[in-house]
Amino acid sequence: MMQVQITGTMLLQLVVSGLLAGGLYALVALGLSLVFGVMRVINLAHGALLMLGAYTTYWLFALFGLNPFLSLLVSVPMLFVVGAILQKLFVHRVVEAPELSSLLLTFGISIFIANVAMLAWSSDYRSVEFLTGSFILGQIAFSKPRLISFSVALGLTGLALLFLHRTKIGKAIRATSQHRDVAQICGINVRRIDMITFGLGAGLAGAGGSLVSIMFAVYPEMGLIYVFKSFLVVVLGGAGNYPGAFFGGLLLGLVEGLASLFLTAQLSEVIAYIFLVIVLLVRPAGLLGGRT
Amino acid sequence: MMAGILWLLLAVMGGLAVLPLFASGYIISFTIQIFMWIALAGSWNLISGFTGYVSFGHVAFFGIGSYTGALLVTKAGWHWLPASLAGCVPAAALALLIGYPCLRLKGPYFAIAMLGLNEVVRALVSYFESFTGGGSGISLPPILSIAPVYYAMGGVAIAVTLLTYRIITSRFGLRLLSIREDEIAAETMGINTSLMKLYAFLLSALFPGIVGGLYAWYSSYIEPLSVFPLLTTITMIIMCLFGGKGTVLGPVLGAVLLSVFQELVWARFIFVHQAIFGALIVGVVLLMPRGIMGVLQERYRLPRAV
Repeated sequence: MMQVQITGTMLLQLVVSGLLAGGLYALVALGLSLVFGVMRVINLAHGALLMLGAYTTYWLFALFGLNPFLSLLVSVPMLFVVGAILQKLFVHRVVEAPELSSLLLTFGISIFIANVAMLAWSSDYRSVEFLTGSFILGQIAFSKPRLISFSVALGLTGLALLFLHRTKIGKAIRATSQHRDVAQICGINVRRIDMITFGLGAGLAGAGGSLVSIMFAVYPEMGLIYVFKSFLVVVLGGAGNYPGAFFGGLLLGLVEGLASLFLTAQLSEVIAYIFLVIVLLVRPAGLLGGRT
Repeated sequence: MMAGILWLLLAVMGGLAVLPLFASGYIISFTIQIFMWIALAGSWNLISGFTGYVSFGHVAFFGIGSYTGALLVTKAGWHWLPASLAGCVPAAALALLIGYPCLRLKGPYFAIAMLGLNEVVRALVSYFESFTGGGSGISLPPILSIAPVYYAMGGVAIAVTLLTYRIITSRFGLRLLSIREDEIAAETMGINTSLMKLYAFLLSALFPGIVGGLYAWYSSYIEPLSVFPLLTTITMIIMCLFGGKGTVLGPVLGAVLLSVFQELVWARFIFVHQAIFGALIVGVVLLMPRGIMGVLQERYRLPRAV
């Protein structure tokens, strides 16, 4: 490997790129965290739902030239409905069952969706060429698509957190995730909350997919790595700690960005992985604390 | 009942032992495939079927065993049999490395760590190109006769199945099953659950390592994409679930039935194959959670230790 002189500017550049990627991780992970918090189900199909969001944006752009950011208005509601249906048909049967069942069930759903996508759209890599180039501020470059996706991801994460804290349904969701039985005694329709939460989780995955599509290639199996990274973010932020997922996302982006100083980007998954194992060894309850 | 099953098993084994003497090459290699799947599905059963901790990355042990076997044969000039057996060493080491931090915790941590493991190992194998040949893979010398591989693979399949029987009839097996049913209760009764899970995981990683080495020798060529496919993990899972997790004969039944079905029917629909597997997992989890063995056990009052 070539020896490179590490300068302050370079370091700052990596921090910036890392944080920009982290905003997206936070958005996607919040969806996973919500579903896990409320139903104790790790939705392994989260990545497949993200992929559907990415294809929605791709097709709307390729066929109708729709602005990818406007396509969020289609992908989020559509994925909400898909999520709610999946919950109603399949997932609700395993909410009370042992973890093995829900993991295997969502894994099966994930394989099914990814492979149907492959049959329908082939496994070609596709890309949405919408925004290119960078803003230059001082000596630091801010890639345009990343900067705008970061802002949108931040906005959506903020909206989702506001929804959870300020609205009646949001409060019911948090109550259910705190204690399912007590929430039910208080008159919350837990079944309905499950459905809404799964829909929301899927909607956030869809939003993440739309944003990913303008930066990276779109293909049927793109989702799997996001399930893994989202889970890592949830672990970092502490399970059931929703604002924690936000900081966890930024932290993961930062670590990946800085680690690319020492290793090639090809190994970014390896870095995330080693990071997960270390965190589980040292602080299994998450860096920011949470319920186990 | 038990005696009947034993006689049937002995007859099948006797038939299989003399099969290479008269069968065609196609039949022999198909049987090798079945042996391979019995060993792999049986291994997955040891950790996931018994303890309920789902391993989504079991193919990593298979792949790492393949590379160990192939490198020992091509670079160190070993005979294929010890080279394949040696595949279990790095597989067990990897299992220890992942299992120690992740199996101390309850919940989904292990499952997710295993989901990422395969990608990570594959990325590393592709990255260290000078050693592993990277994307261009490793070619092994062509094999002259497949009968020795047939017996070796059959031996591994039998070893896994016998080990499963040994476990299910032991206190160790009961401890594992109690972890699956209620881990906190198991802990309260004084079972060191982290250690038991780690033992089960180590055992379940050994055999895929050996099978991987045999596979490398048998197929004469390996590359990262051919020995680390997600599909292999999916196939192990679905065979074990379909046959019946946590039983001795479940993975065997699942491996035989699905291999035959695959060969006869799905080979013609290669593209929908994975989608069908996905749907099958959903179907089995919701409608037949204990698999074929579960149905048989209910209907015919079979003994627990099958």
